[in-house]
Amino acid sequence: MNEDAVKRPIILAAAAVTILFCLAPFGYMVLTGFSRYPDFFSPDTPWIVTLSNYRTVMASESLHFTAFLRNSIIISAASAVISVFFASLAAYAITRLSLPGKLFFMFLILSLSMFPPVSLVGYLFKLMTALGWINTYPALILPYVAWTLPLSLWILVSYFSQIPRDLDRAGLVDGCSRMQILIKIIFPLAAPGIFATLLLAFIFAFNEFLFALLLTTDHAARTIPVGIALFEGLHGQIPWGEIMAAATLATMPVVVLALIFQRRIIQGLTRGAVKE
Amino acid sequence: MSHFQVVSYLVSESKKWVLSLMPAFIWLLCACGSANREAVVFAVGGAPAEVAFWEELLGDFERQSGIRVEVLRQPADTDQRRQGLVIALNARKPEPDVFLMDIAWIGLFVASGWLEPLEGKMDAAPFFQRVIKMADRHQGQLMALPVYVDGGILYYRRDLLERFRLPGPPATWDELLSQALTVQKAMRETNPRFYGFVWQGAQYEGLVCNFMEFGGSKGGFSRQEDGLRLDTAANRTALAFMRDLIWRHRVSPPSTYTEMKEEEVRLYFQAGNALFERNWPYAWSLHQNPASKVKNRIGMAPLPSSPGSKPVSTLGGWHIGVSRFSEHKHQALDLIRFITSYDTQKKIMLRMGWNPGREDLYDDPDVLSRAPHYRALKDVFQNAQPRPLLPYYTQISAIVQRYINSVLAGRESAENALNSAQHGIDALQQRYEPK
Amino acid sequence: MNDNNHFFSRETWTALGFLLPLAGFVVIFILVPVLGTLTDSFFLDVTYRPRRYLGADNFIWLASDPEFGRALRFTLLFVLVSVPLEVILGLIIALVLNERLPLRGLIRAAVLVPWAIPAVVSGRIFELIYNYSYGAANYLLTTLHLTPEPVNWLGSEIGAFLALVAADSWKTTPFAAIILLAGLSAIPDDLYRQAKVDRADFIQRFFKITLPLLKPVLIVVLLFRTIEALRVFDLIFVLTGGGPGGATTSVSLFGYSYFSAGDFGYGSAASVILFIMAFGLSLGLIKLGRVEQGLMP
Repeated sequence: MNEDAVKRPIILAAAAVTILFCLAPFGYMVLTGFSRYPDFFSPDTPWIVTLSNYRTVMASESLHFTAFLRNSIIISAASAVISVFFASLAAYAITRLSLPGKLFFMFLILSLSMFPPVSLVGYLFKLMTALGWINTYPALILPYVAWTLPLSLWILVSYFSQIPRDLDRAGLVDGCSRMQILIKIIFPLAAPGIFATLLLAFIFAFNEFLFALLLTTDHAARTIPVGIALFEGLHGQIPWGEIMAAATLATMPVVVLALIFQRRIIQGLTRGAVKE
Repeated sequence: MSHFQVVSYLVSESKKWVLSLMPAFIWLLCACGSANREAVVFAVGGAPAEVAFWEELLGDFERQSGIRVEVLRQPADTDQRRQGLVIALNARKPEPDVFLMDIAWIGLFVASGWLEPLEGKMDAAPFFQRVIKMADRHQGQLMALPVYVDGGILYYRRDLLERFRLPGPPATWDELLSQALTVQKAMRETNPRFYGFVWQGAQYEGLVCNFMEFGGSKGGFSRQEDGLRLDTAANRTALAFMRDLIWRHRVSPPSTYTEMKEEEVRLYFQAGNALFERNWPYAWSLHQNPASKVKNRIGMAPLPSSPGSKPVSTLGGWHIGVSRFSEHKHQALDLIRFITSYDTQKKIMLRMGWNPGREDLYDDPDVLSRAPHYRALKDVFQNAQPRPLLPYYTQISAIVQRYINSVLAGRESAENALNSAQHGIDALQQRYEPK
Repeated sequence: MNDNNHFFSRETWTALGFLLPLAGFVVIFILVPVLGTLTDSFFLDVTYRPRRYLGADNFIWLASDPEFGRALRFTLLFVLVSVPLEVILGLIIALVLNERLPLRGLIRAAVLVPWAIPAVVSGRIFELIYNYSYGAANYLLTTLHLTPEPVNWLGSEIGAFLALVAADSWKTTPFAAIILLAGLSAIPDDLYRQAKVDRADFIQRFFKITLPLLKPVLIVVLLFRTIEALRVFDLIFVLTGGGPGGATTSVSLFGYSYFSAGDFGYGSAASVILFIMAFGLSLGLIKLGRVEQGLMP
C-alpha cells in the first residue's frame, strides 16, 4: 500500500519528463519555424510569430523544396508497396510451403540487413552510373526495396503464421492456385499486418539518407533528407527560421503517419523483434 | 461459418482492389527522374545572400542573351560543394553544365577528365597571367578561368606603428617579430589581451596557406624529380618560427593552434587586440565598417619574407569551368564569357567585394575609388603562389595540417613533424602515381 | 501434397517461385554490392588514375593511417557510450509506459515522434540547439548560471562528442523503449502479484523477476542498437560534419569522404572493415537468437 502511494507520483513525474524529453526538441523546431528570430526565448530578442519562413520555403522555386517532398513520397511509397508485395510472397512460402532450411534462410536475410550502407553505396554508385540511372527514381527505389525487404519479411512471417492453414486448404480444394490464395484469402485477413509493414517500410525509405546523398544530384530525384541536410535557406547568412520551417514540413508526412497509426506501427516493430 | 463460406466471401471482396491497384503501380514505376532540360544549369554555393546575388546576375544574362539558366543551389560548406560536383561529374551527368571550383580542386577535376577545354574559345589575356599559368592551364590547354582570386596579406595597425615610431610594415619576419614584441609589451600595460600577431593556426586548410607564407619562396612545397618535398631547411626554420611565436616569444595567442581561423583572427584584430594580422582581402571592408574599432587605423601590405627569399602570398579563389558531359556547351561558353566579362566582373567587385580574376579591372577608376588598396592587391595577386595542383591534394593537405598543427601545439619538433609529413606525402605519391 | 513422381514437388517449385523475387532483390542490391565493394578494396580505384590491382595495400595503408585509427576509436567510443545510455533510458521509459496511466496513448505517440523523423532533421534541430550564439543549450546554461560563458559545443572535441551522444540518444531511445515495453508486457502479472504477497519490494521484484525475464529482449535491443550505432552517419554529417578537425568522423563518414573525393578503392577498404565488424556482431546476434529459440518451447 505504502509503496504504491510513493510510486504513483514518481511514475507520473517520469511520464511527464518522458513527454517533455521526446517532444521538446520537436516543439523547438516547430516554434523556430514560426519565429522571426531563432533566439526568440532570449529576453533581448522579441518573439515575432511569422509565416514568412514557410512562405519562402514553399514558394521559392530555386529551393526546389516541393520537388524534394514529392520525390520522397513517390519513391518511399513505391518502395514500400513493392517491398511488401515481394515480402508477402516470401512470407507465404515460409509459413505455408514446405522447403528445407527455412529458418536458416530467414536468418540469412536478416543478417543481410545488418550491412552498413556505406559498404554498399560505392558499388551501387558505379552500378547506377553504368545503367545511366543516377538521379532517377529507380536508382533509389530498387535499393530501398532491397533494404526494407528483410524487415518486411520478418514482420509478415509473424503475422502470416497466425492465420490458420485450414483456410488455405479450403482454397486449394476450391481449385485456387497458391497465388490466388495469397491475394484473395491471406491479404484481407492479414490486412492490419500488411498495413503496418507498409507503414514501416515507407518510414524507413522516407528517412534514408546515404544512398540518396550519393545516388542523386539535384531536385529531379533528390529526397527530403538530403534536401534538409544541405538546406541553406534564402536570406542572409544562416536563416534558422527557414531551415526549421523546412524541417517541420519535411517531417510532416512521417510524423502524421506515426501519430495516426501508432498502434499498428508499434505492433509491427515489436513483432519484428520480439518472438511471441 | 464454414471455411468454404469464408473463402468465397473473401474471394469476391478482394478481386476489386487488386485490379485497381495495378495501373497505379505501373505508372509509379515509370515516373522516372531527370528529363533532358532546356536550360543551362549553373552550380554555385555559398551563403544564401551570395547565391541570391548569382541568381540576380544570371537573370541579367537571360535577358541579354535569351539563354535560360537554372541555378543549382549548393550549400555554403566548401567540402559539400565539391562532393556534389564530384558525384555528378563522376556519374557523367550532363548537369550541371557550368560550375564554380575552388582553386584547390582544379587538379582533381582536370585529371579526372571532367572539364571541357576552353582553349581557343576563351580569351585568357585580360586575367592574371600567373594565375592562368599556374592554375588554369594544363598541358597547354586552358581548362578554367578565375572568377575571383584571393591571396594572403598582412594587415597592420598604422596608428600603433606611428605611435611607437616604428618604420612602415615589416619586410622580414624578424622585423615583424621585433615590432610585435615592442608594441605588445607596451600595450599589455593597459590591455592584457593584446597580442602582436594573429594568424590562422587551427588544423584546417588555412593552416597550410599560412605555412607556405611563413616559408617564403624557398619554403613551402617544392617540386623535385622525385616528387613533392616538404622536409627542406627553409620549412624547418619557418615551422620553428611559427611555434616560437606562440610559445617562446608569446606574441601569438595559444588559441592560435586550437581555434584561430579566418573569422576568429579577423574579430580579434578588429576588436583592437592585435598589431598584425594575416588574413585574406575580404577582411578589409569589414575592418572599415563604421562599428569597427580599427576603422581608418589600418594598412595593408604584402607579407614579410625571410632574408634571401621573396615573400609568398598563397593563392586562393574560385574558378569557373564547363562540364565535359554538358549538352549545352555552346550556351555554357556564352555564360562563361558573360561572367568573366569586364562589366560583370566589375559588378561582382562593387556589389560583393570579391576580387576579380581580371587584371584589367584593377586600373578601373570606379573600382579604385571604392577600394584604393586594390593598387597594392594587384601586385599581391600577380605574385601569388598556388598550392600543389595534384588531384590528391586534399589528402596531402590533411597530412600536412595534422603535423604542422602538432608542432604548434608543442607536441613534436619541427624536424620530426616535417619528416613524418614527408613520409606521408611519399606514401601518397607512391600510391597515386602510376609506376 | 507431395507428388512423388517429380524431383521437386509442385509445392516446392511454388515455394521457390515465391521466394525468388525477394531473394533476387536482396542478392542484386545488397549481396552483390557488398561483394563488389570487397573486390574494389583491393584496387587503386580513383577517378584520376587508371585502375590497378593493389593486393592488400589499401588495408596496409588504412592500418597506418592516423585518421582511420581516429575514426575507429571515435566510432567505438560512440557505441560504448551511447548504446548503454539509450538502453537504460529506454528501459526507464518502458517501465513508465508499462504502468496504468492516463493518456497512455498520448505518451506513446510522443515517444514515437523522435523515432519517426529522419535522422538528418534531428541533426539540424540539435545543430541549432547547440549553436553558440542562438542555441537553447547555451541559453539554458547561462541563464541558470551553470557555466560562466557560453560553451563552444560544436567547436570543441568533447563538446561535439557530447552533442552527438545527446542527439543520438534522443532519436533512438524510443525504439529501445518500444521493444522493451513489448518485452515487459509479456511478463505475466501473476509473477508480480505472487512476489508482492511474498513481500518482495520494488527493487527485488525488478532484479529477480523483470530483468531475468527481460534478458532475451534486452540482448536483442542491445545488439540491434550496437550494429546501428556502429554505422552512424546521417547525424554526424549534419550536426558536426565530422567534428572539429575530424574529431567526430565515424568510419562510415570516413568512407564516404573518400567516395566523394573520387577515391573508391580506399573508401571501400574502410567500409569493408566496418562491414566485418557489423557482420561479426550480427552473426553473434543470430547465434544468440538461435540459442534463445532453442530455449523457448
